[in-house]
Amino acid sequence: MTATIEEDFELELRSLPGVVNVGISHLESGEVDAVVLSIRNQDPESVRESAVQVASLYFPDASVILEEAGAPAAVRTGYMARISLTVAEFNEHDGISEVHLTYAGRTGVGRAGSGPLIGGAEATLAALRDLGYVIPFYLMGVTKVDTVIGCSVIVAFRSLSADDDRMGIARAEGDLVSSAKATLDALNRYVTMDPDRQREELGAGGGPDDRGDEAQPPYEYE
Amino acid sequence: MADMGSGEIDSTGQLHEPWVFLTMLDQMSTNEVNIGFIYSVLDLLARRYRLNDAVVVLRDEALGTQAFRLGQKSLMNDSPANAATVPGVFCEPDVVPYVVRDVVRNVCQLALTLHLARHSADHDPLTNIANRRHFDTALRNAAVQSARYGWAFTLVLIDLDGFKAVNDRLGHAVGDDMLRSFGWALRRSVRSGDTTARMGGDEFAIILANAEGTEVLAFTERLRALLVSLPELDFSVGTATSPGDSTDPAELYRIADARLYEKKGIVLR
Repeated sequence: MTATIEEDFELELRSLPGVVNVGISHLESGEVDAVVLSIRNQDPESVRESAVQVASLYFPDASVILEEAGAPAAVRTGYMARISLTVAEFNEHDGISEVHLTYAGRTGVGRAGSGPLIGGAEATLAALRDLGYVIPFYLMGVTKVDTVIGCSVIVAFRSLSADDDRMGIARAEGDLVSSAKATLDALNRYVTMDPDRQREELGAGGGPDDRGDEAQPPYEYE
Repeated sequence: MADMGSGEIDSTGQLHEPWVFLTMLDQMSTNEVNIGFIYSVLDLLARRYRLNDAVVVLRDEALGTQAFRLGQKSLMNDSPANAATVPGVFCEPDVVPYVVRDVVRNVCQLALTLHLARHSADHDPLTNIANRRHFDTALRNAAVQSARYGWAFTLVLIDLDGFKAVNDRLGHAVGDDMLRSFGWALRRSVRSGDTTARMGGDEFAIILANAEGTEVLAFTERLRALLVSLPELDFSVGTATSPGDSTDPAELYRIADARLYEKKGIVLR
């Protein structure tokens, strides 16, 4: 199957500067009735002029309609929200760590056993998932390291499906808070945006690593 | 379409029901995949998950960000990917496992890449008409049909007059603009089913299907009329007709070339 005339038509329209999508509507007879171009960051008149020229080569009777695609996702308010670690408690009685994270008015709660170090990391992971994030990692290990400036906690995560390890480090008041913050540090690339959008982006396969926008701090501590 | 099963993923993110892989691989192995394939994949996804809407956003080096929406629709403002600037699959409702969306996005990216690669291999980037490689194949096919069934066609070779002087005097950017304009005029002048190509430099070739004598004249008149706003752009034409002159592509080319140069007052040795 070689490209049909309509496919070549669409490809040529898509190659016009600023065109991000091409919609084609047909008459009942199957002839092309109209093409709708979604454009972004481009002068509509120059695009229209070029598009009309292209259309005249393929489907001279088709009308050309332009629409502005929406604002870039980066300016949406959801991107400006941050994850906050609001509660990190360890219950010595039952050995359960509890972590609360908030994001854009929502709270995710996670609980885990195994002490404040492992439990802190596991509980943070659970809280992130409770917020709706897809975190395709499991906890591999937690360790404490003495440094000249104090005692830091290092956590290591391994990907569920690929050979991809993530490590995070933090130094804070107490093992649980350190462990929770180290977990956020390790997974920061997975929590830089709204959970819904993050799931969509993970669906894209590239993962947040590919976005190149790491200048934006992923979370804040309280 | 047969029931594809649940397609659920387990806690390790593995897709148990590989319908999406199998269906797509099946289509890809039996077709030359073009951008139309992307719409069929979205359609498949929509039927499988009973989606109201689906958009795949891809990124290509040459085209930039490109969105494809279910039903070949434009994004409009109600589209789930209206503001998307990152590649991905956006569904309404959002029920498609991310592993499936990952596969869909990659397959669609592949389809777009294949289409663009094939287009680049066959087209002249400046004028967006066929290149010599594609034209030679088309000429061979036309000659075979002509020899076998007696179908007539005319090979037209065109050479721009004084193009080198224009290029030297006004610069290559102006020369390129002129070539683009000529390419566009050529495309406007031919009928559906004809083949136009830039053979290199300022040489163009056309296969006019089912055309002889008067049809060729009508074609050159259409072309001249479209170029009336560019008086500095004139051209010479040489033609050869199959099966009248020959049914051998090389011989047709030689005859048309000789006639072209004859009109330009150049004797070929």
